Amino acid sequence: MSRLGPPVAAALALTAPLWLANPYYVHILIMAGIFAILALSLNLLLGYTGQLSLGHAAFFGIGAYTSALLTLRLGWSFWLGLPAGVGLAAAAGWAIGRLALKLRGAYFVLVTISFAGVIALVAQNWMDLTNGPLGLPGVPAPELGPWSLRTKGAYYELVLAAAALAWLVCRRLVRSRIGRALVALRENEPLAESVGVDATHYLVLAAVVSAALAGLAGVLYAHYTRFVSPEVFLFTYTVTMVIMVVAGGKGTLAGPLVGALLFTALPEALRETVSWQWQMLAYGLILVLLVFFLPRGIVPTLAAWRHARRP
Amino acid sequence: MAKPQLSRITAVLDVLAVLAAAVLAAVALPGPAHAQAPVKVGVIQPLSGPVAASGNYVRMGAEIARDWINGRGGVLGRKIDLVIEDNKSDPKEAASAAEKLIVRDRVPAIMGAWGSSMTLAAMPKLEEYGVPMVVETSSAASITRRGNPWVFRISPPSEMEALGLEKYLDRIGIKKADFLAVNTDWGRGATSAFGEILKKKGVGVGVTEFMDQAATDMSAQLTKIKGTGADTLFLTTSVEQITLVLKQAQEQRLHRRIITTGGSSSPNQLIKQAGAAAEGTYHILFFMPWFPEAMPDGKLARAFVDEWSRRGHPFEGLTEGFRGHDGVATIAEAIRIAGKDEPKAIRDALWKVSITGVNGPIKFEKDGPPGKESGQSRPSIFVVQIRGGKVALPDFLARK
Amino acid sequence: MEALLQHLVNGLVLGGIYALLGIGLTLIFGLMNVVNFAHGEFYTLGAYATFAALALGGVPFLVALGAAIAGGVLAGALTERVLLRPLRGESIDTVMLVMIGLWIAMQNGELLAWGGVAKSIPHPFPTAPLVLGPLSVAPLRLFVLGAALALIAGAHLLIQRTRLGRAMRATFQDPDTAALMGVRIHHVRTATFALGSGLAAAAGALLGPIFLVYPSMGDLASLKAFSVVILGGLGNIWGATLGGVILGVAEELGAGYVSSGYRDAVGFVIIILVLLFRPSGLFARAERIG
Repeated sequence: MSRLGPPVAAALALTAPLWLANPYYVHILIMAGIFAILALSLNLLLGYTGQLSLGHAAFFGIGAYTSALLTLRLGWSFWLGLPAGVGLAAAAGWAIGRLALKLRGAYFVLVTISFAGVIALVAQNWMDLTNGPLGLPGVPAPELGPWSLRTKGAYYELVLAAAALAWLVCRRLVRSRIGRALVALRENEPLAESVGVDATHYLVLAAVVSAALAGLAGVLYAHYTRFVSPEVFLFTYTVTMVIMVVAGGKGTLAGPLVGALLFTALPEALRETVSWQWQMLAYGLILVLLVFFLPRGIVPTLAAWRHARRP
Repeated sequence: MAKPQLSRITAVLDVLAVLAAAVLAAVALPGPAHAQAPVKVGVIQPLSGPVAASGNYVRMGAEIARDWINGRGGVLGRKIDLVIEDNKSDPKEAASAAEKLIVRDRVPAIMGAWGSSMTLAAMPKLEEYGVPMVVETSSAASITRRGNPWVFRISPPSEMEALGLEKYLDRIGIKKADFLAVNTDWGRGATSAFGEILKKKGVGVGVTEFMDQAATDMSAQLTKIKGTGADTLFLTTSVEQITLVLKQAQEQRLHRRIITTGGSSSPNQLIKQAGAAAEGTYHILFFMPWFPEAMPDGKLARAFVDEWSRRGHPFEGLTEGFRGHDGVATIAEAIRIAGKDEPKAIRDALWKVSITGVNGPIKFEKDGPPGKESGQSRPSIFVVQIRGGKVALPDFLARK
Repeated sequence: MEALLQHLVNGLVLGGIYALLGIGLTLIFGLMNVVNFAHGEFYTLGAYATFAALALGGVPFLVALGAAIAGGVLAGALTERVLLRPLRGESIDTVMLVMIGLWIAMQNGELLAWGGVAKSIPHPFPTAPLVLGPLSVAPLRLFVLGAALALIAGAHLLIQRTRLGRAMRATFQDPDTAALMGVRIHHVRTATFALGSGLAAAAGALLGPIFLVYPSMGDLASLKAFSVVILGGLGNIWGATLGGVILGVAEELGAGYVSSGYRDAVGFVIIILVLLFRPSGLFARAERIG
């Protein structure tokens, strides 16, 4: 099964809209893909630099608003709005990285929360630009040459491609010299610096890539739901990302993907099986139990288990 | 280093494969499809999160309508089955809920989704799959102006509500007014709509202040408002925040004529929780459960109030709960006219609906860009006042 | 001028409440390194306990207050014992995930138990405001400010003057040495979390009658508490007290003279500025930094 696993999974993923008779599941997969990009993005910081950002909803929202505004107000194509959204999110990541990455641990957490809070309030109150709490309805669906990517199957492939790209970017980064420097910094910063690793330089680099990926997810979200409102900055989005990364296994490349798939499917599965009164309560309890039984996350635990079983 | 990494990836891909297989199995399960299966109607409401109380009242009202209709033999000889989904006060969840209702449960019509941003987020799904939605609470003008021909609204947009008040303005005698509103689509929409009407009537407007949805301390805004010297304060927010504003206005000795808009203000809850601070305030409502006989269909309104209390639901919830009843009654009537529970037929039939709900007559007029109009009903709008610790008809009506 | 004075009075009362919230969190955050997202839920718990004791139990106001604090202390001790102790040594974000889970579960448990409709807590104070020239303030708010200050002073005495307090300070500065010196770290951590939760519950019990009681009331409270903690510096009780007052006044003035829509931004901007330019808080002394 392990040898057949990768190609089979890839084939299954590519053809999902064909064999999933029910578009509702394609919808769930699209949301899972968008959140997978977010989780990969957060994992880059949390997993490889050890810095927890609770402001990632801000980069997500910046991407969503930028592309939505450019396509709606200036009539730009999605393919121009996409890099613009990613770019602006990356720029915000750079600014936050420069300013905040001299802080560590809990202090860094709090700066990022505050940053997201300010951005959310701007989106809510700058009526002329963002239309405030009324939101921006009617964000156009992307087109590719003569084809509209409005259909769920087509959009799914777009999100899948973006998620694959995000994964490759993360893998490339993590396995490069940069990734080793990041891990060295996470494990022992004074030691790493003493051998000439420039902490701020590498951390800012990670923050920029991470923010750009979150912006990418935001753009994809905006053009999928085709409605953007200040709720994209909701703290629950950030919380969801953290849950996905930590539960999936931070500091692994596969963990965020597993976390994203599981925690997009779980609320929907609860929707099906648990009466609405109990859904959120059950969600909270599952989270607590998960940490207790798999404190390192699903992927590392599974890997360790498989490793132990094998001679 | 490389070895464990690789086995880790294959482990994960195995997990993915297993998950995919599980999903596949779930899809392959046959759904029930009997001839006499009930007619499904989807309901999307905020059942958890900060506005859970309101969403649950609407749900309770919808359940009363369902039970009444089923008690009379249902529609098309089949029972109505409500499939209720929680949008968690989050637009993303509202879109997911619509998707699930339409695709998984195959409901031919939906009622929802309370807040305007939730409704706006669910609307592209209606267009994508061609399923009509009756909007029971949302007030943003853009909902029926977007050119989405699957949207039928029975609640008044803020402009319509402001027009409803216009005829009383001279009698109330406002010289200058301030606004305090929740910083959401609803609050923003109401301040601009009521502001326009006031300006048209030559009434001065002082300051327009906003408060966060979760804010509990409004003393800064009230101190600012106190400085304008206006005589009236228009208040648009949830009943919880209205309670707080009234109490804090009393603490700050802000003596103003206070008019709440939006119809969600439940004067009984205000009397109970704000006490003397609620005395003299006016409330724009879409249902007056204290005087059911004064409603357009007095008998129906009375029956609804009685059934509500028989079920042990709190009286305060009636001013929201009626929306659920009227929404489901509208959809049921459309299904009856259509003669089948098929989305497009129900959409066409909604244009022919003409019933009297708890609020009053429901009949849709065209709104929005030609060729792609949404339906907008003209709801009845009422004003009540709290006098002597009781809900009464407003004094300006008495002194004609 | 009148408006400015009124804004200042409002801000002061609000600040006392923020301080109470912040003190509980600063102990937990500073001493245990737990990013306690459930802090606001203990605040909510205190408010509901007061409501239950008053409206359903029919006990006097002050007794209900005491019951709420006791409830918060018990629930806090239980949480530490069951959820946090087994996770000692796990990373800050793993523990945070548990607190997020607890936060979601507690909030929705409250929604199930009490329903979403806001409750109003009756109180024995007159509703007519006390008036002094152009200023007015409700008697209840003065009582709350006084009670908050008394609790803050009590917490300070506990930390400075008791054996437990000494053990807490020792643990905060250097857990390993403290353990070697015979401090039972487990007990200190349980006591710290219980104390912090008790103070949050007290804040909820005091604020419940001024505001309203509803399941999601804790979210805003958590946010304010975090702002206060940053302002004052981790683990610094007097810093949290002053931080609370500063935040209350700053918010009030910001909403009054800048824009009420940006009211909550004041707290965020303060956090960012303080962390960038004085990351250990405005009132940090050297030994406070862990």
